Amino acid sequence: MYKRTRFYDFTYYNFIGSWAWLLHRLAGLALIFYLCLHIWVINSLTYGEAAFNQVMIFLNSVPFKLLETGLWGVILFHAFNGVRIVIVDFFKGSLLQKKLFIVLIAVAFFLWALGSYLILSHVQWRVG
Amino acid sequence: MNKNFKQTSRTGSLAWLLQRISAVILFVLLLFHFITYHFLTQGRMTSYQYVVARAQSWWFPLLQFMFLLTALYHGLNGVWSVLEDYTASKFWRLVWYSLLLTVGTILLFVGTLTIIKLYTLKIA
Repeated sequence: MYKRTRFYDFTYYNFIGSWAWLLHRLAGLALIFYLCLHIWVINSLTYGEAAFNQVMIFLNSVPFKLLETGLWGVILFHAFNGVRIVIVDFFKGSLLQKKLFIVLIAVAFFLWALGSYLILSHVQWRVG
Repeated sequence: MNKNFKQTSRTGSLAWLLQRISAVILFVLLLFHFITYHFLTQGRMTSYQYVVARAQSWWFPLLQFMFLLTALYHGLNGVWSVLEDYTASKFWRLVWYSLLLTVGTILLFVGTLTIIKLYTLKIA
């Protein structure tokens, strides 16, 4: 039986690694929540064209497109911080984990801006 | 990295290793998924015929099932490692573990059903 861990301890949060760890967890939890919804919603594709189109109208609405850019950001953060974790675990990356974090997150941010531009350019802003 | 991770598999190091392997697979598959589904085919995505036709190509069920399995494993194993950090009692660990297993089984069932139904659907 081990001692109960406190949920968070701010004395450790002066470090990039601690923030990366916390945000990675939160992003991961958000993504598994989204995955559950996603699997459920995609199931509606099998109930014929009418049901499909109803879902598609919602998925192409402006609020959902904005949420989609957020999703793309969370995915990229989790994916690129995940690359850092793999490098730290398998390739002695702990020596430069802070630099890795900055470089990889910069790449992720670039991809986020690019993807968000594409997502928002698909929006049909005119009504009707 | 502990090269003798097999000897300590009861500590969860097999789950640790599988989490990294599934992460690398997902990195490729999820970015591919996002590029093809969200960026390139956005205009055509709204057509029911196009989606169903693509779901009936030979590679689609295989790739999607692999994607589903890897994503569910990686996600639920991730939730488990978070819960493990904050749950000390054996009882609650068992409750959480069973709950995650149930959720995983249901979602795997629903997802697989979707893939099979789309593959066998007849378009009028």
